[in-house]
Amino acid sequence: MNETERAPLHPIERKVLTGLGSGKALEFDSLVLSAGLLPDQVRRSLSWLSSKALVTVQETSTFMLVATSAEPPELLIVSKLEASNGSLPMSELKAQFKSNQEFSAALGRASSMGWISIVPQQGGPVIVLKDQAGARKLQSLLSMLTGGLEESKVGPEFRMLIVDLLKRGLVVRKESRVMRIAITKAGAEALGGTENESYAEKLTPELLSSIRSSGAAVKLRPIDVRAPSASFFPGRRHPVKEFINEVREVYLSMGFVEIAGNSIQSSFWNFDALFTPQDHPAREMQDTFYIKGGRDESLQRRDHVDRVASAHEDGGGTGSRGWRYGWDIEEARRLVLRTHNTALTVRATMDSGDRETRVFSVGRVYRNENLDYKHLAELHQMEGIVIGEGLNLRHLMGVLMRFYGKLGMSGVKLWPSYFPYTEPSMQVMVYYDKVGKWLEMGGSGVFRPEVTLPLGVKKPVIAWGCGLERLLMLRLGIEDIRALYNNDLDWLRRREIASSEDIL
Amino acid sequence: MPVLKIYFSRLGKMTDLSNERILDRLPFLGLDIESVDAESVRIEYNPNRADFSTDYGIARALKGLVGSEVGLPIYQVADGPIKVEADANLSKVRPWIACAAVRDLKLDDETVRQLISMQEDLHNGIGRKRKKAAIGLHNLDAIKPPLSYRGMPGSFEFTPLGSTKKMTISEILGETDTGVAYGQILRGAPVYPVLYDSKDVVLSFPPIINGNATKVDAGTRNMFIDVTSIDERVGAEALAIICSALADAGGKIESVRVEYADSSRTTPDLSPQAMKFDEKLAARMTGLELTPAEMKDCLARSRLGLDGDGRALIPRYRVDIIHPVDLAEEVAIGYGLDRIEPLYPASKEPGRLARANSILDSVSESVAMAGFIETMGYDLVDADSLYQKFSRSGDSRIEVENPRTLEHHLLRDSILPSLMSTLARNVKAAYPQRVFEVGRVYTRAASGIDETPKLAAVVAHSSSSFSEAKMYLEALVREHLGRGIETRVAQHWAFADGRCAEVTVDGRAIGHVGEVKPSAVAAFGLELPVAGFEMDLSSFL
Repeated sequence: MNETERAPLHPIERKVLTGLGSGKALEFDSLVLSAGLLPDQVRRSLSWLSSKALVTVQETSTFMLVATSAEPPELLIVSKLEASNGSLPMSELKAQFKSNQEFSAALGRASSMGWISIVPQQGGPVIVLKDQAGARKLQSLLSMLTGGLEESKVGPEFRMLIVDLLKRGLVVRKESRVMRIAITKAGAEALGGTENESYAEKLTPELLSSIRSSGAAVKLRPIDVRAPSASFFPGRRHPVKEFINEVREVYLSMGFVEIAGNSIQSSFWNFDALFTPQDHPAREMQDTFYIKGGRDESLQRRDHVDRVASAHEDGGGTGSRGWRYGWDIEEARRLVLRTHNTALTVRATMDSGDRETRVFSVGRVYRNENLDYKHLAELHQMEGIVIGEGLNLRHLMGVLMRFYGKLGMSGVKLWPSYFPYTEPSMQVMVYYDKVGKWLEMGGSGVFRPEVTLPLGVKKPVIAWGCGLERLLMLRLGIEDIRALYNNDLDWLRRREIASSEDIL
Repeated sequence: MPVLKIYFSRLGKMTDLSNERILDRLPFLGLDIESVDAESVRIEYNPNRADFSTDYGIARALKGLVGSEVGLPIYQVADGPIKVEADANLSKVRPWIACAAVRDLKLDDETVRQLISMQEDLHNGIGRKRKKAAIGLHNLDAIKPPLSYRGMPGSFEFTPLGSTKKMTISEILGETDTGVAYGQILRGAPVYPVLYDSKDVVLSFPPIINGNATKVDAGTRNMFIDVTSIDERVGAEALAIICSALADAGGKIESVRVEYADSSRTTPDLSPQAMKFDEKLAARMTGLELTPAEMKDCLARSRLGLDGDGRALIPRYRVDIIHPVDLAEEVAIGYGLDRIEPLYPASKEPGRLARANSILDSVSESVAMAGFIETMGYDLVDADSLYQKFSRSGDSRIEVENPRTLEHHLLRDSILPSLMSTLARNVKAAYPQRVFEVGRVYTRAASGIDETPKLAAVVAHSSSSFSEAKMYLEALVREHLGRGIETRVAQHWAFADGRCAEVTVDGRAIGHVGEVKPSAVAAFGLELPVAGFEMDLSSFL
C-alpha cells in the first residue's frame, strides 16, 4: 500500500484529482467538465486511480420512466369533445379516428373510466363529456414523463396509471447508471505531496539549452514504471541462416575458401564427374529432380568430359576397369537440381589445377522425397574438400575431428561405407554430448582416381559432407524437420538461440 | 539401400561369435544396424557389396574381420554333365545365359527365405531391376537336360510360377503383376527368351517369371541356377555371388556348359581374379606404416589373397573391387578403421568467405534489424500460390519431372508468393507482421535458366501501405548501395494498379514495390492489407 501511495502521478491523473477538489463526490459528467479532459481520458485515468485507492468510484443504478411520443387515444376523444362544447354524435366523432378499431378502443377506455357517457338519440348515439379531471391527471403525468423522471419521484397516486401505460407501451422504463467519484485521503495526499514541486514532463531542446546556459536543476516528473508498455516484435534472423553462418565461420577458421554455385547443374557435374554410372539407382527420377526439358547443350565430349566418359567406359587410363558400358552424353546433359554439393566441390577440384586447395560449400540440395517428419525435398548440406600432396585417411580423420569438434561434437569415428566417387568411403559417426549418443553424420572419403585424374588432379582429395538440419534440430530440440521451414511466426519470434555454447 | 534380416542363432553358429560381438563388429563391415531384437538384427548394406545379401556372405566377412578365418575363400567347381544350348535368335534381346548346378543341399525354410531375398536384392542392385541380369532358381530333379535357351513368339504358352493353368507369353506380360512390372524390358523384342528342358518343361521366361514345374522349396536337394543378362560380366558376377553363398550353405557346385552359335562357356567361374596390389599406394592412402607381412594380414582379414607376384587375389563375389585404391580400402578395413590415429593437416593459407554470400547475409541482417522476421521458403512451390492466387499466367513455368507431390514441383520466379503463404499460415500470430526472405529465384533466359538472388519483404497490419514498404526499400538501398531510388508508375502481377511502382537505381530497374492486390490478399485468406517489395540483389554483389 505504501508503495502505491508513493507511486508518482501522471499529469492526467493529477488533473482528475484536482478536478475532484475538496472531497465532495462528483458525477462522471461533472468531473469531465471540472478536469477539462476528454471522457475517455477520465475513464482510463479513473481505473488507474481507483486501483491505487486514490479515488472511490460508486456506481448506482436508477430507473427512469419516459413517455413515448404516442398520445393515448382516449385523450383524443376528450379533446374533440371539449372542442365541440362537450358533445358530438358518435358518427362524427368516429370519422376523426384513423380506424374503427382505434375508435372503439378509445371509446371503451374513456367510458369505462367514467369520462364520457353514450346517450342514445334518434339520429344515432351521441357522446357526452362527463368528467374532465381524469383526463387532466393523465395529461399532467405524461407531460412530467416526457423528459424522463426517476421512478421513485413519481407520486403514489399515479401508480395505477403507470402500470397501465407501461403495459400499453406508452411509457418505458429505462435503467440509468450514475457514477459518483470522490477523492480519498490518500488521493488528497498524493495530490498535495507533490503539489509544490516543479517538474518537467520531458526533456526538450529548450530545457537542455537552459541547463547548459544556466545550470538549472531540472527534475523530470516521476512516472509509473510498472505500467505496461506497448508490445513490439523485433526482427530476427532465421535459425537455419544463423547456423549456416556458424558453419561458415568454422570452415573459415580452418583455412577453407567458400565456394558457391547454381542449384541447377548438369547431370555431368552432379553424377558423371563423380563416377556415378549412368544406370546407377541414385540417378533415377524417383530420387532426383530433373528439370523438364532442361539440357546443357554446351556439354561436348571433349577434354575433361571425354576423360570422364572414358573413365566410365573402361577406366580411361586411370588404372581402373571402369563401369564397362557405353557412356551417353545425352544422359550427362540432363539438368538436375543438385542432389549434393559435391557437384560444386568436384568442379572446384578441377578448377584447383592440382594446387593445394581447401574449399567448402554450405547450400541447398534437392531430393525427390515425400515430406514427412524426417524428410524434406530441400535441405542443406555442408561439404568440404582438401587437396594436398600426401593426404590420407589419417588427415581425413583429423579434419573431421577438428570440424565436428568446433560444432560441439566430442568424438568422431568412421565406419566403412560406399559412395561411387570415393575410396575409401566412410560413414562419419559423431558423439554429441547433448543427446549422449553416437549419431550418423554423413559421409566422407578420398575421391577415386576415376574422379580426380580426368579432371587433371593427381594429388589426393579428401572429401566429406553432411546434412545441416539434423544437427540443428538436435540443438533446438525439434523432432519434426518440417518445423524448420514452416515459418511459424510465433516460433521464429520466440525460439531459443541455437548457439553451440550451451552444449560445450 | 537394401535391408536384410539375419538371425543371431544362424550367424552365431557360422561365426562362433556372441550376439554382442556380432553387433559391435557389423558396422566395421559397412553394415548399418537398423534395429535389433532378441533373435535377430535388421541391417542395411551398401548395394556395391552384393555378397552381403545373405547371412553366409556376412559370416564370411565377419570371420575375416575378427581373425577366426582369414584369407581367400576357395570354392571348388566340379565338372558337370549339363549342357545348355543358347539360340542366336536372342542375340539382340537377352543374349547371355550363365548356369550352375548345386547338389546335396540341405535347405530349411530360413535358408530358402534368404535365397529368395538375395535373388531380389541382386535383381534390384547389380541386375538393375532385372534389366541387366535376372536370376532363376530351380529344382534340378524336375529337369531333364539338356536345356535350350531360345526366343519364342508371344503365343508360346506354359504354366508360370504360382499358377495352375497355362498362359501365353502375351497373357503373362499383360495380366500378371511381374509381367506388368518388368514387361517394358522386353518391349519391342521380336521374340521372348525361354529356358526349357529336353521334355519341353519350361524353367523360366526371363526376366519375367519362372515356370511352375521347377519350383524350389525347403525339400529341394539339388538346384539349378540360371542367370540371363544383357551384359555377360554382370551375369557371371551374379551367378558367382549366389554359388558362393550356396557353397557356404553346404552345396556342391557343378559346372554347366553353355553353347552359343559360335562359342561356348563353362559356368560358373569361381576362381579368384588377380589385381596388382600397390603397397605404396595403400600406405599412401591409409597413412598406415605397415610391413609387407602386416599388409598381407590386413588383406587376409578382408578375405583377399596375395600371390607370390604381389598380386591380390579377389574372390569372384567381390564385384566392387575395380581399382587398386579399392584394395587400399580393404587394407584399412582389415586393419580396423577404429584403430586409425587422426592427424590434422595444418592450413597453410587463410580461409576466405564467398563475397556474394557475405553480402547477401549482410542484406538479411539489415532487414532483420529494421524489424522484419527472416523466413525461408522452398525453391519448389505449387501452382496455386505461384500463379492462381495472383490470377497470373503460368506460361513460363519451370517444372521438375515426376515430382512426388504437386506442393513442390515448380521453381519459383518470385519470393512474394512464399511470403504470402507465410502470412496465410500465421493469421493467428500477433500483428503487425513484417517478414522477409533473401533467396533464389529461377527464370527462363535465352541461355537456359537464370538463378537470381532476390530480397522480398512484406508488411501486414491494419494500416500497411505503399509508403511504408517504400520507406524500408529506400532505407535498404541507401544503406547498402549509398544510392537513392526512383519510383515510377508500373504494373505488376502481385500489386494493385495505382499502388505499384517500378524501382530504379541509377536508371536501372531493380524491382517493384506496392500494395498487394486486394484479390490476392483475399485469395490467401488474409484479413489485413499487405504491402511489400521484391528486388534483384545482383546489383548489390
